[in-house]
Amino acid sequence: MKIVIDGIETAASPGEMLLEVARRLGVRIPTLCYHEAFGGQGVCRLCLVEVTAGEVSRLVASCTYPVTGEIEVRTTTPEIERIRRHIIMLLHRRAPGSEFIQELYREYGCQENVPAPDPDERCIMCRLCVNACEAVGACAITAVDRGTDKRIDTPYGEASPDCIGCCACAEVCPTKAIGVSRAAGHYTIWNREFELERCAGCGRPFTSRPCQERIARLSGQELSGAQLCPECRKKQAGSRVALSMIP
Amino acid sequence: MAIEPQQAAAQRPMEQIVRRYPPEQRYLLAIMQDLQKEFNYLPREALGLTAAHVRVPLGKVYSMATFYKAFSLTPRGRVSLRACDGTACHIKRSQVIIDELRKCLGIQPGETTADGEFSLETVNCLGACAIAPVLVANHKVHAKVTAAAVREIIKSYGGRVDEPVGN
Repeated sequence: MKIVIDGIETAASPGEMLLEVARRLGVRIPTLCYHEAFGGQGVCRLCLVEVTAGEVSRLVASCTYPVTGEIEVRTTTPEIERIRRHIIMLLHRRAPGSEFIQELYREYGCQENVPAPDPDERCIMCRLCVNACEAVGACAITAVDRGTDKRIDTPYGEASPDCIGCCACAEVCPTKAIGVSRAAGHYTIWNREFELERCAGCGRPFTSRPCQERIARLSGQELSGAQLCPECRKKQAGSRVALSMIP
Repeated sequence: MAIEPQQAAAQRPMEQIVRRYPPEQRYLLAIMQDLQKEFNYLPREALGLTAAHVRVPLGKVYSMATFYKAFSLTPRGRVSLRACDGTACHIKRSQVIIDELRKCLGIQPGETTADGEFSLETVNCLGACAIAPVLVANHKVHAKVTAAAVREIIKSYGGRVDEPVGN
């Protein structure tokens, strides 16, 4: 079906999320809680756009708005900018420690914010990290407590035996709120320390043992012998292909 | 880690409660309610046993246990005082009640007195808005509570209350 985004006509399949259509078209809509791997969550509300169907116009979160009919979309109007600025002010009050939020705050020319309860806070509670942890099958971190006390943590705030040290949570975090402290040969995440295993090819440290075991289990293989880092694996596969092409 | 005989003995009643239910995720809440009722809080080992029984990661069980106000992760006192701070009670000045409880017991909401007698909590709504502000002491509902009534309630459960000066 045909839809119009900021005056540009494009085709979208029914049920496709509006944000994804806009991205495909190259229209920039700011997001925080959206990640390709998990789809829209509608948590941060930054991706707000104006949808007009017939006579009716309304504001929707484009990441969770499925296209079901012919619509006209505007991604920036004075109204949207005003509301978005307000959302950014709220996010900034919650997570003033995040450089990404600070940038948005400056970009949208926000007025002076009221003092934040925690000036170092970086988490906006979008739960992308919880989704990532669940997707790798660890479920080591979840939302703890409720209301204003809600936070992301491991059970009892201790090192979780379920954590495999994959750092997927830190990787997907849009505001870099999850700290990984690295030292020679090991690293610490969520209060748990992991030894770094070295690549059998280049000798560079690259991952943790529990991580290797999880990958092996997910891919239905047994973890045996020397492990190669992704780069050395690529090289190995490449040379295998090259050798097979020699007549 | 080897399990001490003492620890094993302590786990038995927990296991009995957990095993009353089939090992399915949908019984998670019911199991935790029974555990809370039996022990007056959710012991750490009990959460572990529950998670293993219904095959749900401990993180999710912990998340639920901290979400519902009906659960407590630390032992509650002999007398559990739950002051409603829902919208209706809040408008009817529940803060006065909570402040009085704080002052009389010397604890903050979520804490238990050092002698293990009283624990204080605030809850979001008890569904008894018509009789706001509401205070529940060990499942007994006290309606339209005043600061003076708070002192009487504490005394009726054997608590010592210093009478306010000048009254």
